[in-house]
Amino acid sequence: MILTGVLLAVLGLGLVGWFAARGRARLLHTGRGTMHSMPGYHAWHVALWIVFPALIAWGAWQAAMPGLVDGAVMADPVAAQLPADAMSRAAILAEAKTIAETPDAVAFNPLANTLAGPVRNAHGRFGLIGALLVAVVAIAGGGWAFTRIRANYPARTRVERGVLGLLLAASLMAILTTFGIVASLLFEAGMFFKDVSPIDFLLGTHWSPGSARGDNLGESFGAVPLFWGTIYIGAIIAMIVAIPLGLMSAVYLTQYATPTIRKWLKPMLEILAGIPTVVYGYFAALTVAPIFRDFAASLGMANPSTESALAAGVVMGVMIIPFVSSMADDALAAVPRAMSDGSLALGATKSETIKKVLLPAALPGIVAGVMLAISRAIGETMIVVMAAGAAANLSANPFASMTTVTYQIVQMLTGDQEFNSPKTLSAFALGLVLFIVTLILNIIALRVVKRFREAYE
Amino acid sequence: MSNASLSAARDGNARWQTPEATRRIARRNAAERRFKLIGLGAIVLSLAFLALLLVIMLKNGLSGLDWSFLTGSDSTDPDLAGVWGATKGSLLTMLVTLLLSFPMGVLAAIYLEEFAPRARWIEWVEVSINNLAAVPSIIFGLLGLAVFINTLGMPRSSPLVGGLTLALMTMPVIVISGRNAIKAVPPSIRDAALAIGASKMQTVFHHVLPLALPGILTGTIIGMARALGETAPLLMIGMRAFVVTPPGGITDPSSVLPMQIFLWSDEINSGFVQNTSAAIIVLLVFLLAMNGLAIYLRNKFEVRW
Repeated sequence: MILTGVLLAVLGLGLVGWFAARGRARLLHTGRGTMHSMPGYHAWHVALWIVFPALIAWGAWQAAMPGLVDGAVMADPVAAQLPADAMSRAAILAEAKTIAETPDAVAFNPLANTLAGPVRNAHGRFGLIGALLVAVVAIAGGGWAFTRIRANYPARTRVERGVLGLLLAASLMAILTTFGIVASLLFEAGMFFKDVSPIDFLLGTHWSPGSARGDNLGESFGAVPLFWGTIYIGAIIAMIVAIPLGLMSAVYLTQYATPTIRKWLKPMLEILAGIPTVVYGYFAALTVAPIFRDFAASLGMANPSTESALAAGVVMGVMIIPFVSSMADDALAAVPRAMSDGSLALGATKSETIKKVLLPAALPGIVAGVMLAISRAIGETMIVVMAAGAAANLSANPFASMTTVTYQIVQMLTGDQEFNSPKTLSAFALGLVLFIVTLILNIIALRVVKRFREAYE
Repeated sequence: MSNASLSAARDGNARWQTPEATRRIARRNAAERRFKLIGLGAIVLSLAFLALLLVIMLKNGLSGLDWSFLTGSDSTDPDLAGVWGATKGSLLTMLVTLLLSFPMGVLAAIYLEEFAPRARWIEWVEVSINNLAAVPSIIFGLLGLAVFINTLGMPRSSPLVGGLTLALMTMPVIVISGRNAIKAVPPSIRDAALAIGASKMQTVFHHVLPLALPGILTGTIIGMARALGETAPLLMIGMRAFVVTPPGGITDPSSVLPMQIFLWSDEINSGFVQNTSAAIIVLLVFLLAMNGLAIYLRNKFEVRW
C-alpha cells in the first residue's frame, strides 16, 4: 500500500525535522540564559508540527479515497456496461477491487475483470495525489515551525500544551470505548428488535434460532432458557464451589497462615486465575465432564450427556476461587484490628472471633466481591462453549446439558450466515443484556466496597 | 491476703476445673482446630485441582512436544500439525496490542493522576475505566466485529483486528496499574523537581514516570498475559482461520495459540488430544515466563518509600 509507505515517510521526515531544528536551535543557544526554551524543545516543536498535520491529512485522505476511486471508475467508459440496479453494480465493483488488489483472485463476473484495470489506475492515481498532499502538509507544517526557532520563542510551552492534549486524548479513549460498545450493541440490537419484539425475546421460553422462519420470529427467540442456564451455571453452581473455597482460603491465609506460608500459597492460588479459560474449558470437557457423566450414570440416570451444566459450573467455580479469595482478603483486612482484639480479649477463640466478629463485619465487602465474581462468571465464554452444550434446556438437573448467553453469542456469530439475519443480530441483543447485567452488578459492587471502606476509616 | 478471698479464689479455680468446663474448653479447642483445618483444606483442594489439571496436560501432551511440533503449522494430519503458525499469529497480535495499549494506557494514567481537573467528566472517565476492566471479554469481541470489521472494513481474522480488540481490553488494566504506580511515587519527589524550576510536565516525565515505570511494566505484563490467553473476543472477529502457512504480516489471516487449542479440541481425530495438550503446555510456558518476569520486575525494582 502506497499510503503505508507515506506514513513511514512522514515519521522519517519528522525525525529529520527534529535533528535539523535541534541543530539550528543549538546555534542560538549561548548558555547565558537568553533563550526561552532548550534546543530539544525546539526540535520537538518542529517534529510535532511535521507529524501531526500530516497524519490528520493522511487520515482524511484515507477516508475520502474510496469515494473518489468509485467516482473515477464510474466515469470510465467500461462502467457504462454495468447493470443499472445498484446492488449488482456494487457487487461487481467490490469484486473488481479485490482483483485489483490481489492479482491471482478469480473473477466471478467477467465484467469485474475489465473493471479491475480502471480500478487499479484510479487507485494508483489517487494514492499518488494523497501522498503528495501529505508531503506538502508535512513540509508546510515543518517549515512554519522551523521559522519560529528564535531565542524568545516559547517552544517548551507550546510542546507541553501539545503533550497535554495527547494525554487528554488518551484518557478519553476509555469513554470512547464505552461509547463504542454501547452504541454498537444498541444499534445492532435495535435492528434485531425490529424483527422480534423485546417482550418475546426477554420472556419467551423457546429458543431455536435454527428453525426461525418468516413472520413468527418471536416464537424462536425466547431467551429465558439461556438466562436460566447462565444463572444456573455461573451464579449458582460456580458460586457453590467458589464461595466456600475462596472464603475459607482467604480466612486461612489472613488469619492462620504464617507469613512464609502465605508468601508461598497466595501466588500459587493466583496461578489458578492466570490459566487461560480455553485451558479450563478443555480440562472440563476432557476430564471433568466424563467423571460427572459416569457419576450420573451410576445414579441411574438414563443416557446422561457428556456436556453438563455441572462440569462447566464446577470448573468455572474453581477458576473464580482466587478472585473470591482476594476480594475476601481485602474485606477482612479492612476490618479494624480493634474489633477482633476486643473479641479475643473477652475470651473468644480465634475461630469464634472469625465467625462471630470478623466475617459479619466484613460481610458487605464479601458480598460485593461475590457480586463481582458472579459478573465475571456469567460473562465467561470458553468454559461453557467447550463443556456446557448447545441445547436450550429449562431444567434444574445439573447433569443436563444447558446453554448460556455467551455460548449462544458464539454460536450465532461463528457460522457463515449473512450479517444482517435475525440470527446474527440476536447475538448483539444477547450481548446487550449481558453488558447491562454485568454493568449493574459491577456498579453496585464497587459502590458497596467504597461505602464499606469509608465506614471503617 | 485474707482467708475469705483465698477460699473464693480456690472456689473459682475449682469451678474452672469442673468436668463440664473442661469438656467445654476441649470442645471449643476442637472446633478451633477443625476450623483451621477446613481453611487449610480449602486451599489444598484448590491447589490439588490445579495440580490435577497440570499433570493431565503434561501426561497427554509432553510426548507430543518435539521440534517439528514447535516449528510446524496447522494441518489436518495430527502428526504433521504444529504450533508455529499460531504462535506467530499470537506474537503479531500481541505486538499490535502492546504498541497501542501501552502508550495509551500510560498517557491516560498520567493525565488522570497528575493533570486532570476535578470535574464531572473526569469522574465519567474513571467510572468507564473501572467498568471496562470488568466487562466480559466477549463484549469486546462484539465491539471489534461491529466497529473494526463491519464499519471500518478491516481484514477479518487478521492480527491487526485481533490486536486492536485486545488493546481496548488491556488498556483499562494498564491505566489502573499505572495510576497506582504513579500514586505510589511520594509527593516529595514532585516538590523537589518543581522547587528547582522544572515545569509540571518535566517533573512528570523526568522524575515521576521513571520511578513509576517498574510498577507500570508489571501491570502491563500481567495485562498482556491475560490478552495472550484470551479466546472469546477473537472468536467473535473470526480468528479461527485454518492457517497452513504462518501469517506474514498483521493483515494476513491467522490464528492464535488459544484459538488453535480451541480448534484442535474440537477435532474428532484422537491424535489431536495430544496436540491440544502440547499446545496448552506451550501456552502455559509463555504465560509462566511473562508472569515470572512481572514478579522479577516487582521484586527487583519495587521501592518502599
